[in-house]
Amino acid sequence: MKRFGTHRVVFLALLIAMGTALHVVEALLPIPLPIPGVKLGLANIVTLLAIYLYGFRDGLTVALMRVLLGSLIGGVFLAPGFLLGICGAFFSTLVMAALLRYTRCFTVIGISMAGAVGHNLGQLLAASLLLQSSAIIFYLPVLILAGIPSGIFTGYLLKTLIEHNHKTGILNYYNS
Amino acid sequence: MNRADKFLLAGILLVSLLSLMGMYGLFSSAVNTTQAIVVVRGAIIRRITLPVAGKSTFVVQGRVGAATVEIEGDRVRMREAHCSGQVCVNQGWVSHPGQTIVCIPGEILVRIEGAAAVDAITR
Repeated sequence: MKRFGTHRVVFLALLIAMGTALHVVEALLPIPLPIPGVKLGLANIVTLLAIYLYGFRDGLTVALMRVLLGSLIGGVFLAPGFLLGICGAFFSTLVMAALLRYTRCFTVIGISMAGAVGHNLGQLLAASLLLQSSAIIFYLPVLILAGIPSGIFTGYLLKTLIEHNHKTGILNYYNS
Repeated sequence: MNRADKFLLAGILLVSLLSLMGMYGLFSSAVNTTQAIVVVRGAIIRRITLPVAGKSTFVVQGRVGAATVEIEGDRVRMREAHCSGQVCVNQGWVSHPGQTIVCIPGEILVRIEGAAAVDAITR
């Protein structure tokens, strides 16, 4: 695999575009729960796909670029929510890449779940640093729990995609 | 989902529940240490752990004269003050953490301190 193969560069750009679109669309969706910070995490699919295809570095590129572009479109660039998003994206990418590389036993659903929980932990860490207060740690159990369903949901979507790839080999084209 | 995924799910649930229990332990112990703090001209002169048994009063010397602070059970008030506005006296009783009685002319401050509760979260 070449570092700057054309297929790879193009597909990374596509992934960033898809992630940004999901990020922006998701911000428009109302959440029926009265809990701030809980969301579907659809853009996580794209990050995990990038890690799955190209590894940690490119996964991080996709995740961070996605948050950057999404916040520019949403008009929250450099706002507190943006910093939380960056920190969350970084932690979830770190967790998912580590699990993909160093473990063999988890399916993408498990990895996605761990990534969602990692995302929420990263956000909480950023929030407590930002507010200079540890009182927000009281929110920890809620956020850990909230990561589970969204992680399973996005993991299931990615599993479907990868099974489709086993049949058609569509992603192999981009992995060359 | 394979077995490892289910173990991970169970592990995450367990951590969440344990931290929930830990939080409640922390929270309830913190609530028990509510204190009334009396500050005169920038210096803390008294620290009373609430609630107290019965009723008691004490006199503090402010900048414009003496003021009487009264404590009854878990609440505190300024009973009498020799200032012109009487804002502190008219405020009445305070008992919740974060509530404050201030006498500007006398430079007296009575504050209830307790568990740091989260006021609000914005997104």
